[in-house]
Amino acid sequence: MSDVGPPEDPQRPSHVPERFERTSGRRIGDARVKIVRRRGFRRGRGVIVATEEVLEPTSVTGRAVSVLREILFGKRIPSERESEERLTKVTGLAIFASDNISSSAYATEELMRALALAGAVGLAFTMPLTVAIIVVLAIVVTSYLQVIKAYPQGGGSYVVASRNLGVVPGLLAAAALLVDYVLTVSVSVAGGVLAITTAFPEVDPMKVGVGVVFIVLLTIGNLRGIREAGVVFAGPTYFYVASVAVVLAIGFYRVISGDIPTPVVPPKLIEPDEALSAFLILRAFSSGSVGLSGTEAVANGVPAFREPAARNASIVLIAMGTLFGTLFFGISFLATRFGIQPDATETKSVIGLLTQTIVGDGTFFYVVQAATAIILVLAANTSFSGFPRLASILATDRFMPRQFAQRGDRLAFSFGILVLAAVSALLLVIYGGSVNGLIPLYTIGVFIAFTLSQAGLVRHWLRERTPGWQLSAGINALGAVVTGVVTIVVAVTKFLLGAWLVLAVMPLLIYVMWRVRRHYQRIEDELLIPRAARVHLARRAPRVIVPIARLDRSSLNALSLARGICPDVLAVHISYDEEGAASFRARWAAVVGPEMPLEVIVSPYRALIAPLLSYLDAVDGGDRSRPIVVALAEFVPNHWWEAALHNQTALRLKLALFNRKNTSVIDVPFHPDDEDAHH
Amino acid sequence: MKLTNILVPLAGTAIDPDIIEYAIALGRSHKAKITAVHVIEVKWNMPLDAVLDAELERGEEILAHAEKVAEKLGAHLTTEVLQAREAAAAIVDTAVEKGSELILLGMPYRRRLGRVYVGRTVEDVYVKAPCAVLAYRQEEPK
Repeated sequence: MSDVGPPEDPQRPSHVPERFERTSGRRIGDARVKIVRRRGFRRGRGVIVATEEVLEPTSVTGRAVSVLREILFGKRIPSERESEERLTKVTGLAIFASDNISSSAYATEELMRALALAGAVGLAFTMPLTVAIIVVLAIVVTSYLQVIKAYPQGGGSYVVASRNLGVVPGLLAAAALLVDYVLTVSVSVAGGVLAITTAFPEVDPMKVGVGVVFIVLLTIGNLRGIREAGVVFAGPTYFYVASVAVVLAIGFYRVISGDIPTPVVPPKLIEPDEALSAFLILRAFSSGSVGLSGTEAVANGVPAFREPAARNASIVLIAMGTLFGTLFFGISFLATRFGIQPDATETKSVIGLLTQTIVGDGTFFYVVQAATAIILVLAANTSFSGFPRLASILATDRFMPRQFAQRGDRLAFSFGILVLAAVSALLLVIYGGSVNGLIPLYTIGVFIAFTLSQAGLVRHWLRERTPGWQLSAGINALGAVVTGVVTIVVAVTKFLLGAWLVLAVMPLLIYVMWRVRRHYQRIEDELLIPRAARVHLARRAPRVIVPIARLDRSSLNALSLARGICPDVLAVHISYDEEGAASFRARWAAVVGPEMPLEVIVSPYRALIAPLLSYLDAVDGGDRSRPIVVALAEFVPNHWWEAALHNQTALRLKLALFNRKNTSVIDVPFHPDDEDAHH
Repeated sequence: MKLTNILVPLAGTAIDPDIIEYAIALGRSHKAKITAVHVIEVKWNMPLDAVLDAELERGEEILAHAEKVAEKLGAHLTTEVLQAREAAAAIVDTAVEKGSELILLGMPYRRRLGRVYVGRTVEDVYVKAPCAVLAYRQEEPK
């Protein structure tokens, strides 16, 4: 009953992205027009919006890759759904707090490992140092609550330091955090693998490979987007907290009931070879301070939370500090009370030995070990949300390449995620997957960032003087002093153990970021159009040159396109000898005739590109008023593997012409199966 | 009644999301295809296929919003913009062409001269459609 009218109206403006199909109705006069959208586009307000359809591949291989990508990373998410991709408090705690909470699995161990060098006398300092670290944690958490209050748009230490202390301190904070995020991934994954080797020592020879696999899995999880990563990784985080809480509850019950178990002895005890000294105590304190890492992540990523973002972030920060403090205190207390000692071979962890001591080596021991392994690996997740976010802020400020600021298909900062994964995996390989080897590199970056952000906030409150500024400034000043002292302690005590490397990398990073900024600044100066300027676009008629290797359908295609651009077209043929030149001239005269000029260059040394470039120089003659356009005929084979059968002259020419000034290159592809385009 | 095709005309009123939701609920058990249409009524002093940019953009916006509502409910919606002299005739003809068993209409709650106003389009579709027609009237604002 319907009859479709003419598909196209020649009068219709060509930019209209729809096709109008006229259809008659059941009654005369009830005709209607169906507006058929062009594939991949639909109307928006004053614009044409590209839909997901334009991204759908048409080839079989492309479709297969697309299906695989969808399985791995999920469906593409449009930009407008960014707010839906934000985190709730529950998923936010799992994402941003997993680093800090997981530190409870090894903070006690790091502390004891340093103290054990002085034997039992040294280990007696485990609890006092645990309390000292918890006090520092409370100060840092309170200070970061101030950061969230003052900078609810996120950015953490970098933003606070650069806005209040200047560019260089800002970059120092950023460099410190970037290094720390990389180390967090390596350390966490190495720690996770250690938990596995504690339960299954036979995995030890493969620990680097297992660690790299974990990094790859985390990368895939995070490329799926922050919300999905939060949902996927929330379970293990809470599972760890719950399982360790059960172990601690049983442990405390046994202490109260006087049922003190015999401690499980590690395969090899650390040989005491140092006298107890202030330096050793400070070194142990700095090692244990590793537990404070990840505290800044929440303040960095406030915009990732659902509204009210600042309030939700503050609640998560407080919950995180409370959870970590409780677990850390509980593990240190019970380890000391039961006489647990660290393992010199690094095969068995303190938390593993403690669990074995309290609950035996039954199923629950393996449950706790599994939970610990998973949380340690997932601690790296905090970095996977922190590093790309910080890198994107730096890229927006032009201190890092722009790729870091671009969001991927799932709204994640994919480039940052991939760079983080690559660098941390490399570090893991270099250090052979050893937690002890990596830990000295850790912590220093965190504390530099802590100190700078606290100092920056003091300046902020002094300047803003908002109601209650005195208290805020006081809290941050205390935070700056305490974390500053810890920074110095960490730097001094760990300098020779590897911290020098971090301290050397940071200035280098600052220099690189500074140079990146200078590059973008220079480019912007060259490209910028004054805001109020009204530009008159002058016509610049080009000289079009068409290099012709052989007179065929592909070259004729290029010649006719060149003709359409400008009447001033010159064909150039390069021949290896006089005979070939004469023969080409004759063929040209027969096929094209005199209507298009031809220049034949004889190249006795069989070079193609150099004579052509020199010829262009000669034609150009330094006249910059007329640009040169080189139209390159390029044969496109039907299959990728057929490309190897052609010598890719057009590609080599394109590369050679890429840097030539005043020259534009037009690629004129010839698809042998595209019959419509050939006539 | 077996539903294979449900036609949902949308005018960009506040009840659009409700009727989309209702259509999805109705069609889910039948695995029915749901088509949402927006009809631009073209005045007689203009050609039927005139390019009405503003109206077209609004129509696409209405349909894009409907697609999002459907997506959130885990359903797929086919959408079409039509131009016609009278919306009712275009809706009925489209339903016939697509073989729709049901037209689900939305009626925003409006009053005129002290009575609930049904509207010309709803009334005409009710009278002229050969298939079943269900009108979903918005509840009275409190």
